[in-house]
Amino acid sequence: METIRQTQKKYCTRAITVAIFAGLLFILIDYKPIGKGLILGTVFSILNFILMGEMLPLKIGKTKGKTFMFSLGSIFFRYFILAIPMVMAIKLEQYNLISVVVGIFFVQVFIMADHLLDFLWSARGKQV
Amino acid sequence: MSYDVKTWVDVAAFVGAGLSMGLGAIGAGIGEGLTAARATLAISRNPEASGEIFKTMLVGQAIAETAGIFGLVIAMMLLFVKNPNPSFIMVAVFIGAGLCMGFGAIGSGVGGGFPAGEACTGIARQPAMTKRLNTTMLIGSSICQTPAIFALVTALILLFSDFSALPLCPTWAAVLGAGFACGIAAIGPGIGDGLVAGACCESVARQPSSATIATTTMLLGMAVTETTAIYGLLVSFILMFKTFPATDAIAPAMALLGAGLCMGIGAIGPGIGEGLTAYSAVGQVGKNQKNSAELVRVMLVGQAVSESTGIYSLVIALVLIFVV
Repeated sequence: METIRQTQKKYCTRAITVAIFAGLLFILIDYKPIGKGLILGTVFSILNFILMGEMLPLKIGKTKGKTFMFSLGSIFFRYFILAIPMVMAIKLEQYNLISVVVGIFFVQVFIMADHLLDFLWSARGKQV
Repeated sequence: MSYDVKTWVDVAAFVGAGLSMGLGAIGAGIGEGLTAARATLAISRNPEASGEIFKTMLVGQAIAETAGIFGLVIAMMLLFVKNPNPSFIMVAVFIGAGLCMGFGAIGSGVGGGFPAGEACTGIARQPAMTKRLNTTMLIGSSICQTPAIFALVTALILLFSDFSALPLCPTWAAVLGAGFACGIAAIGPGIGDGLVAGACCESVARQPSSATIATTTMLLGMAVTETTAIYGLLVSFILMFKTFPATDAIAPAMALLGAGLCMGIGAIGPGIGEGLTAYSAVGQVGKNQKNSAELVRVMLVGQAVSESTGIYSLVIALVLIFVV
């Protein structure tokens, strides 16, 4: 579990830091709904990622069928949570829907960017 | 009992949202289940690597469920975005968008589970290759999401384009056909891509020295596997952007609906088949690096033959659109 927590901490810290800085920048240049939406989406993206990690040990050691059913239940529960910022963005004018959607994918973006950069650096290192 | 236009549009939005999220969750559920099942076996094989296996499982599942989140986004838009000028064409548009995203998320969700599961097994077998396996898995899983991204783009175009000026018949069939063409066509390539990416993770774990050639073959194999999803996207774009003359006859409308179904269903088999071909090639390239060029050639020929039925579907879909 310690490895999972460290992984979550690594990606969540990066995602929220970038979201806050980008959000503040948007707020400063008078695009408040975009900035607020980005931060809101990222917060829920992090919550989804943390819940996913907490539910992982519960999926281990079960039959394939039970794991599938548990995965499906876990997905619906977490998607219900992810729906909250989108409903807020649609109902309230102070949040921009597109920036909320972008924020929801922030953790995934940072996971991919981290590994892609590692891959590119190692490929470059081999060439040198 | 009679209903006004607005009621029908609301009903279509609810049905579309249900299809988008319900179908979208199937793929992500199967993909996550596959990953967890392989992780269980991996931990049982090498309990000391459980920390790294859990980490890989978490990261792999986060990427594999991206397609499901696309389904959620479209469902929320269908449910809550206001429609100021409801018209009957929007009934078909909303159901088409829901079908497109729902079907489109199945393949990528399932496909994303294969590399994540194989990476977990690989870490148990070869803990020293953890970093490389994670990178290979993430590259593979990300490419697996491409067919779902096609479906997302089509669903968003359907939702935000103004079809109200077009004649109801046969436009209703064209937009529904567009949803079927892109959504169903994404299933096969999504699963096929996952098979290829899974084989690459397995190959890297079994033969660490083959990592570069296996990754290159994987990228090539996945690129070809995805072509039938591109045919689906092409047919759906033609159906959405071509203006069809107004008609009261049902046959032209059915031809457009048939074109969408033909391309969508016709892409499932080639997508999975091409994935199976590349799955085998990527696995063998790892074991037999000396003959990798020959193996890649055979893979490409095999994929080309497997693709022919997808091309037939494309031709028939185009005939239905432009000739019939």
